[in-house]
Amino acid sequence: MRRGMVIDLENCIGCRSCAVACKSHNAQPAGTWWNRVLTPGSEYHGVPPEAGVEYFLPIHCQHCENAPCEKVCPVGATYTSKDGEVLVDYERCIGCRYCMAACPYGVRQFNWQDPKKSMDQYQYSADYYPGNPKDFRLKGRLVYTLKRPRGIVEKCNFCVQYKAQGLDPACVRACPGKARFVGDLDDPQSEVSRMIRRRNGFNLLPHKGTKPTVYYLPPSRKEL
Amino acid sequence: MRKAQKVTLTVTGLMMLAGLIAYVYQYKEGLIVTNMANSYSWGLYVSGLAFFVGNAAGGLVLSSLIYLFGVKSLKPFAKLGALAAFANVTAAMLSILPDIGQPLRLLNMALHPQFMSPLVWDVAVLNLYAMLSLIYLYILMLPELKGPLARIAIKVDDPEAFSEKWAKRLAPFSLLAAIGIHVITAWIFSTQGAREWWNTAILAPDFVAVAMASGTAVVFMASIFAYGAREEYQPAYRIMALIMAIATFVHIFFMYNDFFIHIWYGNRESLDVLAITLKRYAVTHAFEVLAPLIAVILLLNKKVRQSAFAVVACCTLLVLGVFTHRYLLMPAAFERVPLTLHPLGIQNGEWSAPIASGRYSPHGDTFVTQWDYFPSGIEFAVFLGGVAFVCFLLIVAIRILPIIKEAK
Repeated sequence: MRRGMVIDLENCIGCRSCAVACKSHNAQPAGTWWNRVLTPGSEYHGVPPEAGVEYFLPIHCQHCENAPCEKVCPVGATYTSKDGEVLVDYERCIGCRYCMAACPYGVRQFNWQDPKKSMDQYQYSADYYPGNPKDFRLKGRLVYTLKRPRGIVEKCNFCVQYKAQGLDPACVRACPGKARFVGDLDDPQSEVSRMIRRRNGFNLLPHKGTKPTVYYLPPSRKEL
Repeated sequence: MRKAQKVTLTVTGLMMLAGLIAYVYQYKEGLIVTNMANSYSWGLYVSGLAFFVGNAAGGLVLSSLIYLFGVKSLKPFAKLGALAAFANVTAAMLSILPDIGQPLRLLNMALHPQFMSPLVWDVAVLNLYAMLSLIYLYILMLPELKGPLARIAIKVDDPEAFSEKWAKRLAPFSLLAAIGIHVITAWIFSTQGAREWWNTAILAPDFVAVAMASGTAVVFMASIFAYGAREEYQPAYRIMALIMAIATFVHIFFMYNDFFIHIWYGNRESLDVLAITLKRYAVTHAFEVLAPLIAVILLLNKKVRQSAFAVVACCTLLVLGVFTHRYLLMPAAFERVPLTLHPLGIQNGEWSAPIASGRYSPHGDTFVTQWDYFPSGIEFAVFLGGVAFVCFLLIVAIRILPIIKEAK
């Protein structure tokens, strides 16, 4: 089993629902976004860079097979689970940020200060604290917690806490365009494998040799 | 000299205190008090690591020249070299400490070391080098550990011969460890395929070259403070100046050789990255090249080496140039987002994917493609505390220990 994701850019409407669902389900501190949706070529989201050319690109951790972030981590806080999810152990990370220098996708984010303080700065109302309140441990390692320690790095955890309940990641469930699919990349007959084959699935920055398990399907039609 | 020493000790002592206070404040508030952000995640502290590691090369240069290549004129400076090496390698470790977000978890490096990480190798080799330079210093001092210091001397029949024998035996190992600290520190950066600016095979050899220049400059400066520019030491000073000059020329050759091949081929990614150093930081780049170059060319002149003031000025200029070089490790690595794509359906388009900065700014954007980093006052205070630590340790050790041979 090699858990992977396929994102169909044909179906992505750029609504950023996935980013919002991800942010609140995973209790990301203010200013931290595991998931972002961008308009390639344009300085502003939702503005075509050229007339007739527009598509949207959701970006989050690519859960690389040859993950540079995992290889540089001096304490093994970033590690790959048996199904191929690249995870961060919140109790192990020492906050050296080497992984942030190593990641070519810019998906890793640091807790520069106490999350409570950043929420005050962003003027979240005092009673609002989003997210799943229950810690989640995978074989004893803390890979999801509501209360982030200051001074550690975090990123997309492929919603392993939901996988344990038999659910898809928050971004997949929240997508109104049905653009996201999760499946087994090792199984050639799985839906994701078939989509990658049939629709010319591609990776971001393939020349970096990171072997992402997140695939994108090119859009044939561009929204105006 | 006495008064000047007292003033220096007071000033460096206060600087260390300021650095410590700044660090305690940062520890309380988090790394938010630095000017780093998610897209610019390493700054002055990591440059400081590379800077101090380079300065620690002095021990290698001297001990290997004396005991492997038989350059006897350098012998009076061997202890100074070992001491400077220890002070700088310790400062390197101290300067990287404040970069750690969870310092209380540092023990995880020992409990759960991940052996693929160049950072693990670096911590190991830096500690080894610190230990080796202390042992070296001790062996060299052994014949002179008398009076109250006799207590820490091991009992051997002929301390002079013992010291000579073991200094010779240790020399090849200290040479290996010394080259090791530069190569492995360079590998922290050069192994990173994500950062075009670092990802070059020339980085490790270049780190060795830069270290030979700045490490020797540090020992040269310390020698002038300890012994002055007296005639009897001029042959040794000539050798130091030569090493610095050759190392600087080699460094500049390595650097421009690397730039040249990228500019010739003209790959867009490489050109973008080079433009950061050569255009956006043009003045800083000019200084990082010209300062060491002018310093070593002046030092090749005998008259310059005969003036204590001129030597100190030249060495300071070189060290400042090298510091600037280390500072420039970061901008070209972090001012261009590695996830830069050619959007589908656009001709000749290049576009960088914005990254959440992770820092609140009332007017700025949440997602950024460029973060203008300049170290904060806290970062400067902590870094300068490290510089002060090196000076303080050198002066105190020279006062207490038999480092300097009294003039006959």
